[in-house]
Amino acid sequence: MGIELKCFATLAKFLPENGDDYPVESGETVRSLVNKLGMPEKDVTLIFINAVRSNLDSEVNDGDRVGLFPPVGGG
Amino acid sequence: MRLLDDIHSHAKSTLLPWGETGTIISNEDVAALAQHNAMSGHIIERHALTEGIYPLRYLRNMQSISVEGQINLLESSVAQVGLGGLGGNLLEQFLRMGIGTIHAADGDHFEESNLNRQELSLIDNIGQSKVQAAMKRAKAINPSVDFKGTNEFLTSKSLPDFLSDADIAIDALGGLKTRLHLQKAAAQAGIPLITGALAGWTGYVGVVIPGEIGPADIMGLDNETEGILGCPAPSVMLVASLMAMEAVKLLTGIASPLERKMLVIDLATTTFETITL
Repeated sequence: MGIELKCFATLAKFLPENGDDYPVESGETVRSLVNKLGMPEKDVTLIFINAVRSNLDSEVNDGDRVGLFPPVGGG
Repeated sequence: MRLLDDIHSHAKSTLLPWGETGTIISNEDVAALAQHNAMSGHIIERHALTEGIYPLRYLRNMQSISVEGQINLLESSVAQVGLGGLGGNLLEQFLRMGIGTIHAADGDHFEESNLNRQELSLIDNIGQSKVQAAMKRAKAINPSVDFKGTNEFLTSKSLPDFLSDADIAIDALGGLKTRLHLQKAAAQAGIPLITGALAGWTGYVGVVIPGEIGPADIMGLDNETEGILGCPAPSVMLVASLMAMEAVKLLTGIASPLERKMLVIDLATTTFETITL
C-alpha cells in the first residue's frame, strides 16, 4: 500500500496516474516526493499529511494522505 | 413606547410557514416607519422581532436562524474588503440575511473580464466603480441595511480606521499581496477575520482568530496561480457561500469549526478537507 496523493490547482498537472496508491520508499520526505514528481519546491506552499499542516522535511509513510497546494489567492 | 405601538399597528396576523399563526410586518411598512422615525430600517426590524413580529423579508430564514440570531445579525456590523468576485457575492448574501451594517471598500472599476464571475458586474456598468454598483444593489435588495461604500484600495495605513467599528472583518480581496496586511489589521482591531480564496477549481476558507495563524501566513505573495487558472463562477460562489455562513455563525454566537483551520476545496474532484494549521 502506498500513499494517497492530492495535487491542487496548478500542481494538478504533476499528479501521477497512480496518485491514489503512490509507492513511497522508506525515509521518504515531502521534499523527496516533490522532487520525484518534478514540482518546483517553491510552488508548494501548503503541505498537509492526514489533514495536518506539515512541511518539506516531514516524513511520508505508507497509508498517508498527502496534499500539495500552491499559492492560491484569487477572488 | 410610541414606536412599538406603531410597529404593532402595522403588523398583520398570518399563518406562518411552519404551521403556527403569527404576526408579520412588510418591507414597505418597515421602510415607512424608518423614514417617519428617522432611523434605519434594521432598527425597526429589530424592535419588531423583540415584539414577536417577523419582518416578512426574513420569514423564510426563521427556522434556520433563531429570532435571537436574527436580532444579532441586525445589530451586527461587518467590514468587508473587496467587492469583486467573492465580495459581490458576499454582499448579496449579507444583504439578504439582514446584517444591519455593512461597510465595504474597493477602489476598482468593472471590466468585461469580470463578467464571468462577479455578481455586481453587468454589461451596463463596465467602466463604473464597484462601490457605486454595490450601493445600488444594497438599496435594491435591502434598504434596511446601513451600507457604506469606500471607493479606495485600503492599505495598512487606512485599514485600522476601516475596521474600527466592525464585529468581524471579511477578506474578499483578489490576489495575495494585501491579505496579510488585512489579517494583521484585524488582529490589531481584536476582531475575527473570515478569509477565502481560489484559483480554478481549487479554493479554501478559513476563520482567523486575532493573533492566531491564518492562510495569509502560509500562502506567500505570488499571484501566478489565479493568473493562469482564473476564477470561474462555481468556485467563487461556493467559497463566498462558505465564508458567508462562517460569518453568520460568528455573529450569532456560534463557534466556527474553521478556527485555526482551513477548509480546502477541489471542485474538479468534488473533495473537501479540513486542514489543521
